[in-house]
Formats: sequence, C-alpha cells, structure tokens
Amino acid sequence: MSKPTDLVQGTLDLLILKILALERMHGWAIAQRIRQMSGDVLQVGQSALYPALHKLERQGWITSEWDISDTNRRAKYYALTRSGRKAVAEEAANWERLSAAISTIVRAV
Amino acid sequence: MARWLAQLRAALRSIVRSRGAERDLDEEMQHHLDLEIEERRKAGLSPEAARYAALRAMGAIEKSKEECRDERRGLLVREFLRDLRYAGRALRRSPGFAMLAVAIMAVGIGANTAVFSVVNGVLLKSLPYPGADQIVVLRTAALTTGQINPLVALANFSDWRAQSSSFDAMATYRGGEAPVTPGDTAEFARLSNVDVQLFRVLRIDPIVGRTFTADDANPDSEQPVALISHGYWQSRYAGDPGILQRTIRVGSGLRHIVGVMPPGFQFPNRTDVWTPQTNRTASRTSHSFLAVARIKPNVSLETAQAELNAIAARLAQQYPDSNKGRGVSAVRLQDEMVGNVRLTLYLMWGAVGLVLLIACANTATLLLGKAAARTREIAVRTALGASRRRIIRQLVTESLLLAVVAGGLGIALAHAGTRVLVALAPADVVRVTDTAIHGDVLAFTIAVSVLTSVLFGLVPALHASKIDLVDAIKSGGSRAVAGGGAIRMRAILVVGEIALAVVLLTGAGLLVKSLVALQNVELGFRPENVLVMKATGVRSLPENNMFFGRLLPQVAALPGVLAVGATSIPPGDLALSGDGAYFIDRVPEVRDRNLEPHALFTIVTPGAFGALGIPLKRGRDFDEGDTEDRPLVAIVNEALVRQSLGGQDAIGRSIFCSWDRKDAMTIVGVVGDARQRSPGLDPVPDCYMPYRQHAYNNNTLNVVARTDGDPMALAATVRRAAAEIAPDVPVSFTTMDATTSKRTEEPRFRALLFVVFAGIAVCLAIAGVYGVVGHVVQQRTREIGLRMALGASQADVLRMILGRGVILATLGGVLGLIAAAGATRFLETTLFEVKPLDVQVYLGVAVLLGVVSLLASYFPARRAAALDPLRVLKTD
Repeated sequence: MSKPTDLVQGTLDLLILKILALERMHGWAIAQRIRQMSGDVLQVGQSALYPALHKLERQGWITSEWDISDTNRRAKYYALTRSGRKAVAEEAANWERLSAAISTIVRAV
Repeated sequence: MARWLAQLRAALRSIVRSRGAERDLDEEMQHHLDLEIEERRKAGLSPEAARYAALRAMGAIEKSKEECRDERRGLLVREFLRDLRYAGRALRRSPGFAMLAVAIMAVGIGANTAVFSVVNGVLLKSLPYPGADQIVVLRTAALTTGQINPLVALANFSDWRAQSSSFDAMATYRGGEAPVTPGDTAEFARLSNVDVQLFRVLRIDPIVGRTFTADDANPDSEQPVALISHGYWQSRYAGDPGILQRTIRVGSGLRHIVGVMPPGFQFPNRTDVWTPQTNRTASRTSHSFLAVARIKPNVSLETAQAELNAIAARLAQQYPDSNKGRGVSAVRLQDEMVGNVRLTLYLMWGAVGLVLLIACANTATLLLGKAAARTREIAVRTALGASRRRIIRQLVTESLLLAVVAGGLGIALAHAGTRVLVALAPADVVRVTDTAIHGDVLAFTIAVSVLTSVLFGLVPALHASKIDLVDAIKSGGSRAVAGGGAIRMRAILVVGEIALAVVLLTGAGLLVKSLVALQNVELGFRPENVLVMKATGVRSLPENNMFFGRLLPQVAALPGVLAVGATSIPPGDLALSGDGAYFIDRVPEVRDRNLEPHALFTIVTPGAFGALGIPLKRGRDFDEGDTEDRPLVAIVNEALVRQSLGGQDAIGRSIFCSWDRKDAMTIVGVVGDARQRSPGLDPVPDCYMPYRQHAYNNNTLNVVARTDGDPMALAATVRRAAAEIAPDVPVSFTTMDATTSKRTEEPRFRALLFVVFAGIAVCLAIAGVYGVVGHVVQQRTREIGLRMALGASQADVLRMILGRGVILATLGGVLGLIAAAGATRFLETTLFEVKPLDVQVYLGVAVLLGVVSLLASYFPARRAAALDPLRVLKTD
C-alpha cells in the first residue's frame, strides 16, 4: 500500500472545514469524502484526522455532538460553527493565493 | 465571543480529563475502526482478515488518542500542566525548603487576613441600621475645657429637640442590668429605658407587634408596655407566637409585651427589654441620659452641629445658672462606638503588617538561597537547549505552586485565627462576633505573597542568561556562580527582617512591662477570694434595706467567710453614673452644683471596707446606727482630703455632695485610696455614704464576701440564703478578681498579640540569619579548607563565620532600635507607667537579639569549623 500523500501543514484543516461546510459528518465519513473528492489522491489516516478535528473543536471552529448514524449506530458528528464558516472563507482565499503563487512558479520554471 | 466560550469549555473539559471525554474518544475511535472493518468485509475479506487489515491501516490508535487529548488541551494548558508536574517534582526533591517557604507565606497570609477581617468587622463595617451614617450621638461639652460628657440633661435635650430642624428624630436612653420576671423567677436582664423616638432614629421595625407610640410615654398610662429582643423571646418565651398576650414584670410593675425586635437588634448595649421613657422631670443639672439622633438626609453633620451650637448658646443665656459654658457635641454613632478600640485595632494591624513584610522578606531570602543552589541545574538545562523563556516559565510555575499551596494553608489559618482572635479579644474590642474572612484582604495578601515568590523565584532565571555555562557545570555545585550577588541580597533582606522584628519585639517588651506594672499596681483594695453578689431589691426602700440587713449577718456567719459588706460600685465597674461635684463645709447655690472638684459617690453597708480590703485610716466605719433618722454621715478617702483639705484633719468637717440628698453630711472617717473603677486609672476622690441614709441607687447593691478559699464555692449557699429572705430578688454572682481583671483585658490582649507577632517575627528573622550564614559557609567551603590547611585554627574559622552573623544582627538591631524609637510613640497612650523609650526594654531587646542571632549563626559556624581541610580541597 502506498504511503498517503503528505498534506501541507494546515491544508487538512481547510479540507475538513470545506467538507463540513456542506453538511455535518462523522470522522470516518470525512476521511472517505476527502478521498472520493480527491479521486483517491488524498488519503487521510485517523492519526492525522482526529487530532485535527479535536484541535478545530478547541479553536471553536467546529462543534461535535453524538447522534445515530445511517447505519443505526452512535457516531460523533462534527459541524461548522459560525466562526468556522468565516474561517472557511478566509482559509480558502489564503489557499487560492498560495496555490496560485506556487503554480505560477512551477509553470514558469 | 462564542468562540472564546467554546474554546474555554473545551480547554476546561480537557484539564479535568473527565471520564466522559475519555469515553467519547474511545467510542469515536471504535466507530471509525468498525467502519473500516466493515468496508474491508464488503470488499470480500474474512472477518479476521478485515479486522487485521483495518487495524494495520489505522496505525497506532493510542498515540492518536494522546494527540487528540493534547489538541483539546491547547498548547498553553499543555505546557502549563507539564511545568506544574516538573514543579511538583522539584519541590518534592527539597521538601524542607518547600515546607518552610509554604509555612512562612501561610503564616503571613493567615495572620494578616485574620487580623484585617477582625479590624474590618469592627472598624470599617457600618452599623446594621438603614442610613447608619446619618445617626449621631449627642453629648454635653464643656466649652472652656473641651471635655466631653457623654451624658445629657433631659431638659436641655428637650429644648434641642424642640428648637432644631436638622433632625428626623432624636431620642434619649439609659439602661443597665435590671431585675425582671419574665415568668416565675426573677433574674437580671439588660434593660433600657428609651425615648419613644429611638426606633425612628435607628429605623428598625419590630418583627412582631409594634414599637412605642407617643401614648406609651404618658407616665399615667393605664397599660405600661415593654418590647423584648428576638433572643429573649426565644429563650424566655420559647418563641411563643401569642407573645403579644404575655406580660413581663419589670421591677415591681407588670408590663404588656407589645412587640418583638428583629434578630440581632439589641441597641443599646445588648438590650433584652425596652421600656418607654416616661420620666419628664426636667432637670438641667442632672446629666444622666445618653442621646442619639438621625440627621435629615440632605443635612450635613456640620450644619446640624452649627444649629445645635446656636441652640446651646441660647440656652446658656436663658439659664446661665445651669447652662453657662455648656455646649452640645454631635459625632457619628459609628465613630463613637469604635472610638476606644480603634487604637488597639490599628496597633494590631500595624503589628501584623510588619509580620507580613518579614514573611515576604523571608520567602525572598529562601528563594534566593534556592536560586544559588540551582544555578548548575539551570546551566545544564540551558546547555541542553532549553530556552530562557522556557526556564523562566518553569521557575515561575514553581513559585506559583508554592504560593498557591501557601494561600490555601493561609486561608485555613485565617479562619482559625479569626476565631481565636474573637474568642481572646475582650468583649469591648470585638463587638461584632460575625467577623467573616474578608475576601478583599485575602486576595491582597495572597497577591503579595505570589508577587514576592514569583519575583524572587525569577532571580535564578535572570542569572541564567549571564551564567558561563561551562564554568557553572564544571564547578560542580552551587558555589561560585551567582553566589556573591545572591548572598548580598539575602543579607540585606535579613537585616531588614531583623530590624522589623526588633520593632515588634520592642513594642511587645513595652506592652508586657506596662502590663506587669498594671498587674502589680497598688489597687488600694484586695480582690483575691472575694465573692460578689449583685442583688436588686424590687420593693420599697425599707424592705430592700431589711433584705440586705438580714442577709449580711447570715453570710458573715457562714464558715469560710472572713468579712462581708455591700457596695453600690463593685471594683472594676465602669458605670457612668455615680459621680458629681462636692463641697466642704458649705451647701452650695444651685448654680455652683456642677463645678469641680468631682468625687465618686459610693453607697456602702457597714463592714464593706473590711470585706473590700480598703484600710480605715482615721475615724470610724459606718455602723447599723447610721440610719435615715440619724445625722447624715460620710467617709472620704485620702485623695479627697489631699485635694480639698490640704492635709488638714477631715473628721468632723461637713461635706455636701450634689447627688440625692440636699443636706450636708459629717465626715466620720477617712479610708485609703482605691482604684475602684480600673487598675489603670489613678484613684479619684471618693465619698462613701451609708446605705440606710440614701434612697437613690441603693436598691441595687453588691454583696462582697471575703473568703478563705474559692469564693465561688459559696455562691450556692448564699443564693439559697437570699432566696429564703426574698425569693423575688434577682441575684447574680461573680468574683472580684474577675471584675477587676476585666479592666486589664484590653492591655493583656494587646500585649499577647504583640508577643505572638514578635515571636513569629523573631523566628522568621532568626531563620533568615541561619540561612544566610549557612549559605556563606557553603559558598566558602573551599576557602575555609584552604585557610585551615594554611594553619587557621577551628576557633579562627568559628570566629570568622560567627562574625558574619554578628554583623547582620548588629546592623539589623541598630536599624530596628532606631525605627522602634520612632514607632513606639504610637503606643504611648496605651502604656501604663512605662515610657515609650524605656531603656530597660531596649537593652533587653538588644541582648535577646544578640543571643539568638549568635545561636543562629553558631550551628553553621560549627559546621564550618568541623570541615576536614584535606577532604574539602581534594573533592573540589
């Protein structure tokens, strides 16, 4: 099994926030969604995912609550908070700027 | 805002690593694992294989759990917890240091908080009456001398009330213990006879019934009434809800209870029963009432005082005979009540403030000593890459931990201390028994200790940046680096500590010496083994006289009784009534009757002088023949003879006392001077009168019986004898030792406080000296070894080290004595027969200080002298 692509520091946060902006989700589903949406390029292991989730929760950008999942089990659902929504926009803008800058350099050289 | 709250909640939840949060984490991980397994099973793996593959894919679950926990805590919290763990470990490594530092700070915090709480409870808390700062006390002032008489004359008071417009209400009152019969048995209760306006002045409403109305003041009222306190209602009437149908016998008259006052209200002076004032004999010369008034809300004290001055001036013109030179003085009730004890409380505060300073200095020296010892540790950590910020934070955490533990202990101490203070303090000093711990001051003292401990805990960290790492690590210990500076700083602090301790010690010395002088003062009577029985006749005068006339011989006949008599003023009684002007060989005009000189008037029975131990110097004692129909006689003391007769023979002269009878009395005897009111007050001129010739006041007499053993052992027998003669006469017992020593309670309390605080201060200072000298020895071990190797004897080393201690003690001592000479001035008014600059006390303090500081330096010095030079030089 190939090593999952390392994510640039901070990018995972953005991905999580972005995913959660659509709907609330539990941890495993978030990882799945990231993988699907990236066409299996990005694989997020639990060892990176959960600390990130807990950190975002401490920062007040997301909240969590226990609920019953589609498969009828108790699962911890994460959702964006109001300040989280603001953060998504900012982080996304930052990312756009950054990736655009990097692309420019990559193409030029 | 919401984000902050969310963060805070998450952080808090994580610190208390709650079982709930842990379960959440477990469950969340399990859920993830389950889904991973399920996915692999859908892909066609066997359950075993799916589980195995999922676990492998997920990696170290426990590790991520720990990371999750860390993330939840946040960086600051995480590092703080780590620091705290290190700090705990560091302190556990040197438990002696930690305990000492904690104990010192705790004592500082505890003592300060306790004392301030008491001071606050008495001095600063306002009275429990609505708008208490509008309530003033009115007193009679002698305009020429400025002397204040707390009592007012009723006729004058009526004029003040009628002519003034600054007050909402004004009231007079007087009271004391009086015989009452709530049920079947007579007893003494604290009774106050009050103007019906009193409750309007204080703005206190009853919880049951009503207070007095103008009708109650009518002397011919068909239905005499009374109010009782909440406590009295509970204890004597069992809280009877039908209390308004009950009665109480006050003196000989039955009264209807018309109201119960709220819990805690007992103005004035722990009153249990209030009766309305009906006395309207308008006298301008008899000053026998206390007065209070409520100033109108928008009127200032100054305006009210000015108005009273104008009225008093008018009265002086109108009634020059009685009112010339008399004014009114209004002071706030709060100030008046606190007046006498303020000094004691401020002294207490000052003393404990010094203790706090010393405690802080001591903590500082301890931390500095510790800092020197840790130089190497810090150097090593710096070398290993710890940032300066990191190290500082570590040290601050350690100091904080110390301060917090000390704070907790200090709160416990403060609680206990407050209780002890309230228990020990004389009733006059701590009137308010609810002296809860004062939050602000607790916060303040804890802040001071935290600051001290953090500030001086930082010293090693600040040094760390200057340390030559290689040198510090190589030198292998606490020597060399950061030593000199730290020692100098410690030495300065210790000198300061000694100086402060000396100030306290001098204060304590002066107060103790003054107390000893007070205990040994020539009282003029002998208080040992004297039973005092207070009794109040409740019937007519002849019957009352018969009661005492029959009781006294019976008591005299009891085995163990050496002498017996009765007096209206038992020694130690500070009652306000009972003194007035007297005149020798003339009956004065009315207008003269307020002039000086004054004497204390005491009613006594025959034999009273013998029982009190007051020696008869000339003439005769009273006898049972001095009855109402016989010529009036009196006995005076030597002070009166000295003051008014210039040493001439007093026997046979006549004396007029402006008191109850308007006739002159013939002096038949002279007795020795007695400090009747208080051991601390010089004897005043006394005029004694026989009980059968004076109606006023002698329905209450104090039987005094001198015994050959424990006087209280006789109490039951005497009580039975009294009850047999008159069951309706209330009696109460005490001993003369008790009543007399009551008057020395306050000086004793002050002395005790100072001794305790000085003791603490000296111990702290000595610990400081010991610490610094020990530090010097440790620091100079190598040098000492070298000196010894070069031929210095043990005695030389001993002398050298002791010298350090002596220098510290001398510097601190001299500074302290100079400061004490300035500071003890504040004690002057509390000292009895001792001057603030008492040479003996200062010498004593100096000697004591010298001895203890020599002792404190001796132990480290001996350790130095016992060093083996060879080993010292080799190991280093």
